[in-house]
Amino acid sequence: MSIDTIAVLRRADAPIHPAPESFVRKYLFSIDHKVIGIQYFIAAGLMVLLSGLFAEAIRIQLTSPHNTFLTPQQFNEAFTFHGTLMVWFGAIPIVTGAFGNCVMPLQIGARDVAFPWLNMVSFWTAPPAMLILLSSLAFGAPDAGWTEYPPVSLQAGVGIVFWTVAIFTIGIGATLTGLNFLTTVVKMRAPGMTFTRMPLFVWATAVTSVLSLVATTALASALGSLFLSHVFNIPFYDPSRGGTVVLFQHMFWFYSHPAVYIMILPVFGIVSEIIPTFARKPIFGYKLIAYSTVSIALLSFMVWAHHMFTSGLGVWVTLPFMILTMLIGVPTGIKIFSWVATLFGANMRLTTPMLFVLGFLSTFTLGGITGIMLAAVPVDWHEHATYFLVAHIHYVLFGGTLMGVFAGIYYWWPKFTGRMMSEKLGKLHFWLTFIFFNTTFLPMHFVGLLGMPRRVAYYDPAYHSINLFISINAFILGAVTLLLLVNMFWSLKKGPAAGPNPWGARTLEWMISSPPPYYNFKEIPEVYSGPYGYGEPLPYSAPYNQVSVTPSY
Amino acid sequence: MAAHSEALAHGHGVMTQEEYAEQRDLRFLGFLLFLFTDSIFFTSYIFAALYLRSAAPVWPPPGVERPDVNLGALNAIILFGSGVTAHYAMHRLKESRFNGYIWFTIATIILGSLFLLGQGYEYSSLYHHGVTWSGTTFGASFFTLTGLHGFHVFVGVIYLIVTLAQTLAGVYSPSRHFGLTAATLYWHFVDVIWVVLFFLFYIY
Repeated sequence: MSIDTIAVLRRADAPIHPAPESFVRKYLFSIDHKVIGIQYFIAAGLMVLLSGLFAEAIRIQLTSPHNTFLTPQQFNEAFTFHGTLMVWFGAIPIVTGAFGNCVMPLQIGARDVAFPWLNMVSFWTAPPAMLILLSSLAFGAPDAGWTEYPPVSLQAGVGIVFWTVAIFTIGIGATLTGLNFLTTVVKMRAPGMTFTRMPLFVWATAVTSVLSLVATTALASALGSLFLSHVFNIPFYDPSRGGTVVLFQHMFWFYSHPAVYIMILPVFGIVSEIIPTFARKPIFGYKLIAYSTVSIALLSFMVWAHHMFTSGLGVWVTLPFMILTMLIGVPTGIKIFSWVATLFGANMRLTTPMLFVLGFLSTFTLGGITGIMLAAVPVDWHEHATYFLVAHIHYVLFGGTLMGVFAGIYYWWPKFTGRMMSEKLGKLHFWLTFIFFNTTFLPMHFVGLLGMPRRVAYYDPAYHSINLFISINAFILGAVTLLLLVNMFWSLKKGPAAGPNPWGARTLEWMISSPPPYYNFKEIPEVYSGPYGYGEPLPYSAPYNQVSVTPSY
Repeated sequence: MAAHSEALAHGHGVMTQEEYAEQRDLRFLGFLLFLFTDSIFFTSYIFAALYLRSAAPVWPPPGVERPDVNLGALNAIILFGSGVTAHYAMHRLKESRFNGYIWFTIATIILGSLFLLGQGYEYSSLYHHGVTWSGTTFGASFFTLTGLHGFHVFVGVIYLIVTLAQTLAGVYSPSRHFGLTAATLYWHFVDVIWVVLFFLFYIY
């Protein structure tokens, strides 16, 4: 090796930070992407559990038509916190911050993200934001739902100010994460990894990053104007001074519709990784899946007003939004059919991650179909703000995002802990989740069609028995989630060693030891082909092509 | 490098280790993405202003005086002038002419501060005429957007002062000056935003 080559290699090493020594730099203010990913996972996981408790409080209230468990005011606060915590503090940090940080740099053969220090800052916007949000409970909590439409939100107490500040703060972190990830994917892929050789999870993360960069900033402006309206009495949303409340809905949904895809696109990526691994086949339609991700992202900026069909928009506004919304079904359908085509004729291995993916496919498709129904303006006029909407969103966010997150946890857990999880407990977790998810949320379609409005603490006694049934199933569904925690603790204490590649997968993260070493890759691997060529030799330079790809389960 | 020739044998699009090392100056792309996301922030408020305008029967609302276009134009000229000096400052540094760099940067800082002073004068005269932040939607969108822009100019002035101090301390050289490139880019970005705001509030 010539002296020049050595100098260049050293420069390739230059952005890599030395391994930390102290406890604080190692576990608290770490700049290592793997540690930050796990930090995101723990913080956001706690928020999901907390949000689940709010959901159970809602369901306790709804066990009888005129329950006194919560006052109507507390009920409003409960569903506001349930939604806010799930969307901004649970789902988005888990699918971007946790999975993106842990998996994406490993899959592209990088030693860290582009800006490790910025990555640390991104994570540390989250805990203060969580504290600010939760402290609003003591100062007149926000109670107008997670969307906080004015004028209702402007009539509330100072809690709404906390709410805007909290989401603005965590939004800064989300934007910086998007900036960081996009730079990483564009600039730091291993030599030879062209865009069409990237694993599909990397595609999903890159596209999600673009969504974060555009949409989260737009949300920040909506939050900023709500903040200004509350604190400085700005007339943006005050009709008596020429403002209009519909403006907030436009600003809010221009963000929040893409946010839906921020929550689901990385999960599509997770599913695209797991399906070929356990179908033991190359994925069907790699490029179609990749490009449909891009087209979903583009379309997501053109459909926001479908959340506002009942806000009094003109027909000439609602009609194009209806058509564009239905159009999103095309790229999403391309993905679903590609996954099903991959499974077609495959010698499938029904491990826990695979089971969750199959569960995802069925429940998410149902949620997608009700989504198309709601996209039709006449249907939406009828079903908007009923439990039908609640059922739809839980089919795509619980049945879609959360099922995919569970699948991802079971899939990558051995990589990051070096230990296997219990398959028996995992399968039990899957089947109970799948059954009680459907018994909880399927009946909501029916009460919604019957006309039960969402976000109301009391309801018509005619719906009593069905609501009691939903509540009982919701309690079981909540309790079942604890099985995952039990499995995690069991695995950390007693789980068998995983080895580098327990599932026999072919992406780069499985070519190194579990858990990965601090620098991930001692030398940067070179990539000669796409990752899903089952049956072919591994397309990586030595020493990253030595791992056995025979499943060891 | 055997691995590399093997890679070539496998197909196209393979980077060498050298190319890989070369492309790792990431900060430029990162900073462009930052400016992009910042521009979305402005865009969102610009669309809000246009929406409020379309919702109003007359614009500006009755009893509201538009800000003085002459003062606005003077301020715009000052800001664009600072863009020119910022551009030349960067060039002088690349040509290793440090004195030129220092004087052009000082000129940029002074022009930027003049812009802020002009904006402060404009704000106070508008308030005297009863155009306030919380009074009408015109005042709300004008003060929100120009205030956000003014805040960006203020940050830019600080940023330029910091980079000037860094250059005097020998942090940057004609070949290594990413911090300066970023400051200059940011300054041009703020200029461009002002073009849009000027049309939105003074002319359109």
